[in-house]
Amino acid sequence: MKRSDLTEFAVEEEGFKLKIRRGVNGLPLVSTTRGSTTPFLPGAESTGQTASPVAPSAKSAATPGTATEVEEEGVIYVKSPMVGTFYGSPSPESKAFVEKGAKVTETTVVCIIEAMKIMNEIQAELKGTVLEILVENGQPVEYGQRLYKVKQG
Amino acid sequence: MIQKVLIANRGEIALRIVRACRELGIKTLAVYSEADVQSLHVQLADEAICIGGPKSSDSYLRADRILSAAEIADVDAIHPGYGFLSENAKFAEQCESCNIKFIGPKSKSIKMMGDKAVAKDTVKKAGVPTVPGSDGPVESEGEAVKIARKIGYPVIIKAVAGGGGRGMRIAHNDVSFAKEYHVARNEAEKAFGNGSVYIEKYIERPRHIEFQILADSHGKVIHLGERDCSIQRRHQKLIEESPSPFLNADLRKRMGKAAVKAATAAEYENAGTIEFLVDAKGNYYFIEMNTRIQVEHPVTEECTGIDLIKQQLHVANGEKLEFDQGDITFDKHAIECRINAEDPAHNFAPSPGTIGLYYAPGGHGVRIDSHVYSGYTIPPYYDSMIGKLVCFGSSRKVALEHAYRALSEYLIRGIKTTIPLHKAIMSDPVFIQGKATTAYMEDFLSRTPADLFI
Repeated sequence: MKRSDLTEFAVEEEGFKLKIRRGVNGLPLVSTTRGSTTPFLPGAESTGQTASPVAPSAKSAATPGTATEVEEEGVIYVKSPMVGTFYGSPSPESKAFVEKGAKVTETTVVCIIEAMKIMNEIQAELKGTVLEILVENGQPVEYGQRLYKVKQG
Repeated sequence: MIQKVLIANRGEIALRIVRACRELGIKTLAVYSEADVQSLHVQLADEAICIGGPKSSDSYLRADRILSAAEIADVDAIHPGYGFLSENAKFAEQCESCNIKFIGPKSKSIKMMGDKAVAKDTVKKAGVPTVPGSDGPVESEGEAVKIARKIGYPVIIKAVAGGGGRGMRIAHNDVSFAKEYHVARNEAEKAFGNGSVYIEKYIERPRHIEFQILADSHGKVIHLGERDCSIQRRHQKLIEESPSPFLNADLRKRMGKAAVKAATAAEYENAGTIEFLVDAKGNYYFIEMNTRIQVEHPVTEECTGIDLIKQQLHVANGEKLEFDQGDITFDKHAIECRINAEDPAHNFAPSPGTIGLYYAPGGHGVRIDSHVYSGYTIPPYYDSMIGKLVCFGSSRKVALEHAYRALSEYLIRGIKTTIPLHKAIMSDPVFIQGKATTAYMEDFLSRTPADLFI
């Protein structure tokens, strides 16, 4: 941006949006939104000596339910009860367990988390309608990671 | 070649391991509980994975989640630190079967030395002096009393699955023995899931002197000198130093040889510690082996100049130790004060909470190993140790001068700490003269007014 006369620059790809605008003092204003494709392991892309603390708490997708975020009204989350790999359907060929808009109850199996070669069926343990699926098939997940955004009730 | 290490621990030791790995160009993965999101080592590690809720039993003790994290992050090795799963033979075995290098000894050495009665028997057969006692766990109260009488009171009743100063009861006669025997068994059952106990002669006013062992996977076993850990309160160490003010060159040589013999008998690899009790006459007795890196390892590091955590990584990598016994020199005198979030003026009541201003001392001969910082909240779920102050110099006198001065500068506002206690000990004549035994702390606390610790 510095080398050009651009005052504004934006790029949008699947799951990733970046917008840079020249600020008042010539410094860039950066805003990014990360979609569910971001690997949750924060250091995966970090290079260089001074590792900027890309702490898990800085990434909303991976935050294990700390109080630092403002919760939306009536929105709850299905969180991962274990460490492993997320699968949204019982097998690669089958349909997903739940899609956007699906109604779930406490005992609805929403996904499988594979840990140490064992496939664990994960129940919703809450009641409501699925608003968004926050993780991708085959994605590694940590304890407490948000998997499904659900409208309570 | 180990390229990525999972650190299965927290607090200051996790930070210590991150630092050593960073210097060796090894990537680090921190696994942490929800209570440790803001922990310093989690921030500094290359990667981090949350493995559970705040309780240790729901996180740091969850071998399944730790191994799962290791699998998805594709690590080569796991460093277990101290405590938690570091002496869990089953966990070490699981790492071995998952083809992940456990940074420590083989699981069979952990198993051997983890059973305190088997450990004693193993080293005894190797010619290492042990405390007179029952040869293994006692089967009945009747047998136990007979042994107690044979050894001669006072005796100590110890849990076979115990360690770290827990699960021990002292009896001075038949009457108290009958009571303490049952109390010890019940406590052991509750704390370790194993009520088996063994009996030993209780050595009065001993010094606790331990030897640091380093062994590679090519058969070389050496020792890196001793640490005198006699300053203990309720069997928990407060201050450790090296060299011991009590040992002379001859006793050091003999004990060092015995320590190497004991480690060799355990087929040991990597870093470990052999603990001895030493009486006033210089008789020494093996009590246990710790098959892990210890809290007080920096004392040996500053005394010998050798980085023990890096050596652990080298050994785990299959490398040969690059030095022999004769290469180890003890150039400095080093002393460590464990800083706990406890109130020494009120019976050491735990003091978790948020640290306001944190200012750590520096200067010549001062090292701080701590994970806390200004604004950090100490979680109440884990032990109370928040840092270690390690001071070293060309003589014991210089080391103590550094320690006293550093403790005077050390500011940790917002919580109570044991800094004032350490300062008081550093200026106590008995301690300064190097005369402290394991009976020291009780005596010191009884003659020192509590308001000196505010």
